[in-house]
Amino acid sequence: MSTGSISRPARFEVWRLAVIYIAVILAFTGLLFKLINLQVVEGSNWATRATDNFTNEVSIPAPRGIIYDRNGYILARNVASYNVVITPASLPDDDSDIQRIYRELSAFIDVPVGGPVTDASLEEAKLFAACVPGPGISQFVALQDTLAPYSSVKIKCNVSEDIARIVKEKTVDWPGVSVEIEPIRDFPTGSLTSNVVGFLGPIPALFEQKFKDKGFVPNRDKVGYAGVESSLQDILAGRNGLRVVQIDVAGQELRNLEPPISSVPGHNVTLTIDTRLQAAAEASLLQEINYWNTYFGTNRISSGVVIAMNPKTGEILAMVSYPSYENNRFARLIPSYYYEQLSQDPRHPLLNNAISAEFPPGSVFKLSTATGAFNEKVIDLNTIIQAPGQLLLCEKFNPNDLCNDSNTRPFVDWIFEKNPAGFGQIDFQHCIAYSSNVCFYKLGGGFQDEIKQGLGIERLGQYASALGYNKRSGIQLEGEAAGLIPSPQWKRINTGENWSTGDTYIASVGQGYVLATPLQVLMSGATIANNGKLMQPTIVREVTDGEGNVVNMWFNPQDFTVSTEQTEGSYQISPFTPNMKWDITTTPMIQSYSCDGGYCSLNENELKIVAPETVAAVRGGTRLAVTDPRGTLQKLFKGFPIAVGGKTGTAEYCDDVAFKAQRCNFGSWPTHAWTLAYAPYEDPEIIVVAFAYNGGEGASVAGPIVERVLKAYFELKALDIEQGKTTFGQ
Amino acid sequence: MTRGLSWRNFDFLLLGAVVLASSLGTAMIRSAVAGNEILQPLIIRQVYFALLGGFVIFVVASIDYRYWLALYRPIYFGIMIFLVSLSSFGQSAFGAQRWFQVGVLFLQPTEFAKIVAIIVLARYFDKTQYQPKNLRWAFGGFLWAFGLIIWILLQPNLSNVIVLAIIFFAMLWINGLELKQVLYLGLAGIVLAGIAFPFLEPYQRQRVFTFLSQDSTATYGATYNVQQALIAIGSGGLFGKGYGHGTQTQLRFLKVRHTDFIFSAVSEEFGMIGAIVIILTLAFIVWRCIRAAQKARDVSGSMMAFVVAILIFFQGAVNIAMNLNIFPVSGLPLPFISYGGSGLTALMLGIGLVESVVMRHSQTEF
Repeated sequence: MSTGSISRPARFEVWRLAVIYIAVILAFTGLLFKLINLQVVEGSNWATRATDNFTNEVSIPAPRGIIYDRNGYILARNVASYNVVITPASLPDDDSDIQRIYRELSAFIDVPVGGPVTDASLEEAKLFAACVPGPGISQFVALQDTLAPYSSVKIKCNVSEDIARIVKEKTVDWPGVSVEIEPIRDFPTGSLTSNVVGFLGPIPALFEQKFKDKGFVPNRDKVGYAGVESSLQDILAGRNGLRVVQIDVAGQELRNLEPPISSVPGHNVTLTIDTRLQAAAEASLLQEINYWNTYFGTNRISSGVVIAMNPKTGEILAMVSYPSYENNRFARLIPSYYYEQLSQDPRHPLLNNAISAEFPPGSVFKLSTATGAFNEKVIDLNTIIQAPGQLLLCEKFNPNDLCNDSNTRPFVDWIFEKNPAGFGQIDFQHCIAYSSNVCFYKLGGGFQDEIKQGLGIERLGQYASALGYNKRSGIQLEGEAAGLIPSPQWKRINTGENWSTGDTYIASVGQGYVLATPLQVLMSGATIANNGKLMQPTIVREVTDGEGNVVNMWFNPQDFTVSTEQTEGSYQISPFTPNMKWDITTTPMIQSYSCDGGYCSLNENELKIVAPETVAAVRGGTRLAVTDPRGTLQKLFKGFPIAVGGKTGTAEYCDDVAFKAQRCNFGSWPTHAWTLAYAPYEDPEIIVVAFAYNGGEGASVAGPIVERVLKAYFELKALDIEQGKTTFGQ
Repeated sequence: MTRGLSWRNFDFLLLGAVVLASSLGTAMIRSAVAGNEILQPLIIRQVYFALLGGFVIFVVASIDYRYWLALYRPIYFGIMIFLVSLSSFGQSAFGAQRWFQVGVLFLQPTEFAKIVAIIVLARYFDKTQYQPKNLRWAFGGFLWAFGLIIWILLQPNLSNVIVLAIIFFAMLWINGLELKQVLYLGLAGIVLAGIAFPFLEPYQRQRVFTFLSQDSTATYGATYNVQQALIAIGSGGLFGKGYGHGTQTQLRFLKVRHTDFIFSAVSEEFGMIGAIVIILTLAFIVWRCIRAAQKARDVSGSMMAFVVAILIFFQGAVNIAMNLNIFPVSGLPLPFISYGGSGLTALMLGIGLVESVVMRHSQTEF
């Protein structure tokens, strides 16, 4: 108080204080401005991001449908596989407890505890994918702890059921440790049916968005890569369920934000395949291949195909493509060494050769030439053809080319080596029965005055297409090849040369540019066997839902889509309905040509049918091949209890493999063996085609395979009837 | 000691604002713990410190501030010993040594060093009030400040060095440093910052770089933390999500939410209303302190109250600016609100000094 009058209260210079006030006001106003901007102007934007932060969509996997054979035998199913996992957040607090758990667990599952967790050891552990052995338990857990402590990390994958059970019992003492059950696709029939059933793999990066849109989860859900697993993916996969949950920053699920949508299991698919017949077909094929390979002492026959079908319904009863692959090896992941091995194998085990490989059909193609020649009245039942051992024919590229020594060469019959005189005088049906090349050269290309006007390549193409060649069958399997029936235009475009008369001759016997898949050869035989009706080949018999109810399902072969109702271009696959592609005796589908002097011109808008008599005549020829003492199939089916009709084929080829081996020598090219047969002749219910790559003579290599499969079929049928089952009936 | 002492002059409005702010802070810390067991004990600890702080205000207010001025030597060297001893005995946290353990309490001498700096500098400017306000005068003050700054710089604790620099500069300014010198000092400061930048700790430089080039998709690190703070503030909207219902805070997406980013937690749960209350409360405290400074009977008292105002303003503004992503991330807490026993106690000490000044401002009312 005494000093009060002396020292006046300190005063600031007003302007200096004002500057301070202004600074304070400016600063707080600035903050306020930004605050309004964040909370009011951009508020909803940030609110969305806050929601994104705590919202997590959890996909509930849908179980994949099961694949059965026609008898209900399982071809593909889901089995449990056990992974030992640790959830870092659930481990005890005490470090010594954790170490004890690691030690005890390590002894059971043979994964090292791992040294102290250091930066270096973590960096190293980061290089390992889940399920790959390497890092210790400590490293696995430490990494997961920093990533998502409430999610489990796989410590050891695919442990045995025993270990899984022990670990499960121990989880009381080992908090944080648990057993995760992962569904794995299992194929009980393995390589026997792998070409039909296929296998699963991860969602390919290319289609990731497409599958994501359908609710699939990449890196978890698997999709079909081949066979019906791939083509019927949409039926088998089902629909994943969805839970929208609230999570905290560590990823712990707190509650459902929306009512969960449960998953819809995939439909089950029953195939038309009979596993027993499939096994018989594979055994027959392998037996024959091994027999000849042992006989020749080299790996002569490298691959082969057997297909069995009911010609009246189109049901594929067996489809064997050898070599195939073991699809169970792809159950967890696709091992690169195995995949490399398969994809680099020149025999293409990953391809289903029954539908994806094109070969020269050889003599089995004569059914097309015969049908065409008879229907176009190039020949009738009474015409007698001179069939010497070989024909000297000249190769004309233009109508006015003159025949001379330089363009004339011999076109030999297969009998020439055994009997240079050939078959002598034979009629139409014996031409088929003996498979006389000379006869079919004449029918296809004409010969002097004997056959003034041959069938010609244009008309041959029409009849071949009517029997199923030259386009995809539309079966429910991906990767089907279309085959090739050449035309003069095709030759000009693809080789730059004119069509020659020689081209027609060799096309008439299924050689030259003609290519076909084994399934197409089967279809051509089925059309004849079934009196002109070509049924849609099918591998699917029925689709059922999770409760066993049969589901209506249509399949569109153009884009491989399935739908529950009929759409343009689709055919019904469930419940089972035989679908007829066409009946050549009633459906006008043969383009009409006017032919003169070996050259044919198209009559537009004129379509005709194949006369029923034509089919009957050709059928008779196939029967004669078995019954005539000189028929190509006579020896094979001599004692066969059921009437069989069929056609053999020995197709010369020269592909890259044969060319590299320098086996393409003129006059002695390597040959594929073909045989096609159906039974019973009167009312066929099975048709079998066998193909042996580089097999040699059709009748002696492919023939026995067909014979054994037919035998197996009738034995199985008798067995089923004995047991009161009608497996092969409708 | 009781001469001129009148509780009538005690600024109850200032005390009220401080109590409001620290209650809000404690409540917010309780919410921000969000089930984290390690953070759980901090709630009650903050309550203890707040109560202790209230007690400190009354004790310090009742003591004439000039006694502290008289004791400047032991205080100054005492805190210096503490700061020095930190370098060898202090606990290392986050690579920087800022903590000193006394029993179960971790004390941050740096927080108290700021108060000591205020006392020492207030005394210096009181003593030199009739000297010419030239560079020599400024340098004399700087030497006093430097005695403390150097140890804080060595910790290293750059943000508090800057706080001290700002305090010192504000004192120079209000005491009438010539404009020309202000310009020189400003330029010198910029040059110094430029020279010093390469010598900063890597993490400090990183913070500046992170601030300058922000990657909003980061899933961790400083940018992530700031992004989460912005989401918390922005999603709070006008009225907030409600106490204990902020998803960013309760689900722990917001990091260091009880200290550095507590403003974001308030903004999320109480919205813009809550944020404005915080800003206005701080502004009110700043205003009451400056008002005390104007009323003070002598230069030293005036300086004390003024610098406490600057301290609260600067720390508050920088912290909020950091929450709003206007400034780079620094460790400066939000005054009275953020968790931190030493910080709160030191601030209460400062408020106590202000009250002490305002209570003894004049006798004219008699």
